[in-house]
Amino acid sequence: MNEYLSNGRLWRLCQKELRESLRDRRTLFTLVLMPILVYPLLSMALQRLVIGANSKAKEVTEYVIGVEDEETGDKIRDLLIEAQQTSERGFSSPIKVTRTDDPMEKDTANSPVKPSDEIPTYKIEMADRGTLDQALRDGRLDLLIAKLNIETTKLERGIFPAYIIQAEFRQNDLRSETALSGFRRATQLINDYQAALFRKQIDRKIPVAMTFNATGIFEKADLSSSIAGVIPLVLILMTITGAVYPAIDLTAGERERGTMEALIATPAPRFALLLSKYVAVVTVAVLTALANLFATWMTLSFGGLGQALFGKSGFSIMMLLQILPLLVIFACFFSAILLALCSFARSFKEAQAYLIPVMLLSLGPGLVTLMPNVQFTTLLGIVPLLNILMLSRDIMTGQSSLVPAFAAVFSTIIYACATLVVASRLFGAEAATSGSQESWSELLGRPKKRQMLPDIGELAIYLALLFPVFFVASNLGGMFELKGSWALFFNAAILFVLFMFLPLLYSWYRRIDLVITFRLSEGVGRGEPIGKRAARWIGYVAGVLLLSTALWMVAFEAYLLFEGWSLASQLSEEDKERLKSDFLAVPFWVVLLTGAVAPAIAEEFFFRGFVLSAFRSKLTAFRSVLFTSLLFGLFHVIAGSVLSIEKFLPTIILGMAIGFVAVRTGSLFPGILLHALHNGLVFSMSRFTEQDLARWFGEDTKHIPVVWLCGGVLSMALGAGVLFLSSQRNQTHEDSN
Amino acid sequence: MISAESLTKQFIVRGVPLVAVNHLSFQVASGEVYGLLGPNGAGKTTTLRMIMGLLEPDSGYVEIGGVRSTNKSTDIRKQLGLISTNDGVYPWLTVREMLMYFADLYAVDPSLAAERLEELANLLDLRNFIDQRCSTLSTGQKQRVTLARGLMHDPPVMLLDEPTRGLDVVGSQAIFRFIDLLKQRGKVVLLSTHRLDEAERVCDRFGLLHRGNLQFEGTLEELRQATGKQHLVDMFIAFLNAPQVNAPKTDHPVNIPPNELSPQA
Repeated sequence: MNEYLSNGRLWRLCQKELRESLRDRRTLFTLVLMPILVYPLLSMALQRLVIGANSKAKEVTEYVIGVEDEETGDKIRDLLIEAQQTSERGFSSPIKVTRTDDPMEKDTANSPVKPSDEIPTYKIEMADRGTLDQALRDGRLDLLIAKLNIETTKLERGIFPAYIIQAEFRQNDLRSETALSGFRRATQLINDYQAALFRKQIDRKIPVAMTFNATGIFEKADLSSSIAGVIPLVLILMTITGAVYPAIDLTAGERERGTMEALIATPAPRFALLLSKYVAVVTVAVLTALANLFATWMTLSFGGLGQALFGKSGFSIMMLLQILPLLVIFACFFSAILLALCSFARSFKEAQAYLIPVMLLSLGPGLVTLMPNVQFTTLLGIVPLLNILMLSRDIMTGQSSLVPAFAAVFSTIIYACATLVVASRLFGAEAATSGSQESWSELLGRPKKRQMLPDIGELAIYLALLFPVFFVASNLGGMFELKGSWALFFNAAILFVLFMFLPLLYSWYRRIDLVITFRLSEGVGRGEPIGKRAARWIGYVAGVLLLSTALWMVAFEAYLLFEGWSLASQLSEEDKERLKSDFLAVPFWVVLLTGAVAPAIAEEFFFRGFVLSAFRSKLTAFRSVLFTSLLFGLFHVIAGSVLSIEKFLPTIILGMAIGFVAVRTGSLFPGILLHALHNGLVFSMSRFTEQDLARWFGEDTKHIPVVWLCGGVLSMALGAGVLFLSSQRNQTHEDSN
Repeated sequence: MISAESLTKQFIVRGVPLVAVNHLSFQVASGEVYGLLGPNGAGKTTTLRMIMGLLEPDSGYVEIGGVRSTNKSTDIRKQLGLISTNDGVYPWLTVREMLMYFADLYAVDPSLAAERLEELANLLDLRNFIDQRCSTLSTGQKQRVTLARGLMHDPPVMLLDEPTRGLDVVGSQAIFRFIDLLKQRGKVVLLSTHRLDEAERVCDRFGLLHRGNLQFEGTLEELRQATGKQHLVDMFIAFLNAPQVNAPKTDHPVNIPPNELSPQA
């Protein structure tokens, strides 16, 4: 390896890849021509959108003002009527824009909304402050009267009330700004009219004097920031576009040109080969990013859209400098993904077939960034692709925060490195060079020969079918409005169909050995004298009992941990109460039957039967158990209509424990017992009230007492030991599987 | 210099095991041209891939100069040069760039590589187009570039996988001259082909491979004596029609499409 990393050899290898990419006219096309064409067109389309929204804002005749109490409402209504009458009298205020000194209001002065003499029509809504704030943010309210004080001034002519109004509006939102501008105009008219009256003394009636202040709030829901959110998405998509062609050309292209065999026949390490290709793909991607960023900057600066979207300063160089490193990191990450996928492909066509779904999938996170109320949290900071998109969006709207930003950058770099390692293993892999390609009919048809275990391809196909069906099925109960016991029985029936009956049917269809795959035999003790077998099973039951007395604690504490991180399912207190009372209304035997026994049987058939065996056909026992547990965890997270992230860790641990039992004993049944006992205990715990728990755990803590935990660890160790000993000797059974 | 010992490789095709190479053993000495002959699907390319360490044999092994070839043996790969039917060129690189790239892949010192490039440019007549991009070359020129590529690291062993497939008479002649050159330089040459007429012309010894089994091995003279036929083509057909000399040493059923052999295919 060293001789390839020294003497500038690696650089020369990179040079070759760069030459190949950059001399290719097709690369240059996406690199240069696309940005030149796309951005001006995009800019025109967006500008139309902004103008459209603007004119739409003008069409609206009635704006909504929120007040906290009736008195304020009446005063505001009187004020507006007064202003309206003044306006109708033909009084025209000489001043068009009242204030630009307030720093928060500077943007208003630059906004497309220009004050006019007309007073728009307002509707007054009354609610509490919290509701009003939310309504203003959501756009249901256009202006919020935060405070209205009346101060009286004693003049020689009498006592004059002076209104001091504090309002809030949505900054950069055309509708809210128009409402604000109209309201300001109203107060201005009254002030001016009063001044005029004082001067001319033509009327004895004395109007109110107005002091009006407004504070803008940031709101992501408005159109301008949605468009600001689109820009990183477009930039990222264009960066991907730039990297796609070189990635295909330098990997699948090697096969298509007939240079792959000569290449992998050389002693050069695959990693060095792939690294040089990676450098080239990243370079092209970064160049594309630069070209796109430059084109975006040009378009926004000279097309006039920049100021409309980003305020007076437009799309600043500073913003550009912040986005660029993000695009570079993203390019590093996505180039690795592209190389990994293309390394697997044998031709251009195949590589394109792999890449198109990935490109489409990457639009998903893009759409998430356009959703107004999705905050960029640290958790989202580690979601690949989405993290960079959200970070760029927040930079563009000037709201980025440090921790999620760090999480996003750091995790993306790690993902890029990991993907690169995977890609180097896939590149020029033996199977892809010479192995036979399985067609759909081979994967879906009924094989002629019997097989012992399902293979990973069969598992993938079953999972691909199971996932959408499971997703729909787990929401069906709600659709039929099933309640109480019926809902639980329905869910149990679905579990049996999807996790037990259909895998059995599919395995039979694929001529897979059901007894071996689903571990339906007695396992390691098969064929031994009856006494020995009985002793083994007593050991299994004892071990499983000991394990289950400890595992519920893991589930319980993991839930508290996730709750502490605010990652537990977001249910309101009312929903929690309702669910709890629904749950308590169901007879306990029904809960045990549908929540403990049924899942234990059905899920064990699938996970420790079908899934574990499929992994076992290729992987070591430990890895198979690990991957099975990961899937087991994932399925519990997506069960039901909410993502139950808090279930992930405990189910993985439970899955590992049961997986260990299944592999050691070679039988499914001890695992079913463990699973049922565990679920049963967890459900029993949930029957207790908080007072009950407090009595046991202590008043001031929700956590399980340390003594209990120590007992749990001991019991778990003991259980594992007993199981290990009672499943010993005939250990080759699992391997022979 | 090359010694294959009981090489066996089996693939699973449509769920059915297919023995591609079955207990194949042969030796090739320095300065010798050994023809591995057989119809399409006989197992020739699989054998070459096992020699290069690109495929792991199910059983048996290959030794190059006394060292076993495995997929991790990079030193072995430096000893081997491969020229195959499907070899392509990099369209956007010049001939010089491509050849220097392969010299780097074989970890040849850049100054030595430059000298060798000059030598090969003279030998294979690359001078006129050495700084041209490969996409502008004619088929014959590309073929000479490929031959030069195989020699950039001056390997003692050359593996030629159907090197004349798709070439016209002139192109084939160039290959024959190239093989003669290799022989003169004392290299071990393993030529895999189904063009029996060509093999007869350039090979010193032959191994007749059919369905993964070595049916016969020897010189042309020995083959003539064994079969009573004059030409390799006739001999081969005689072998194919005769009961197998070595029965497959495997329990698995062998399932190959009907014989595709035609002498000039």
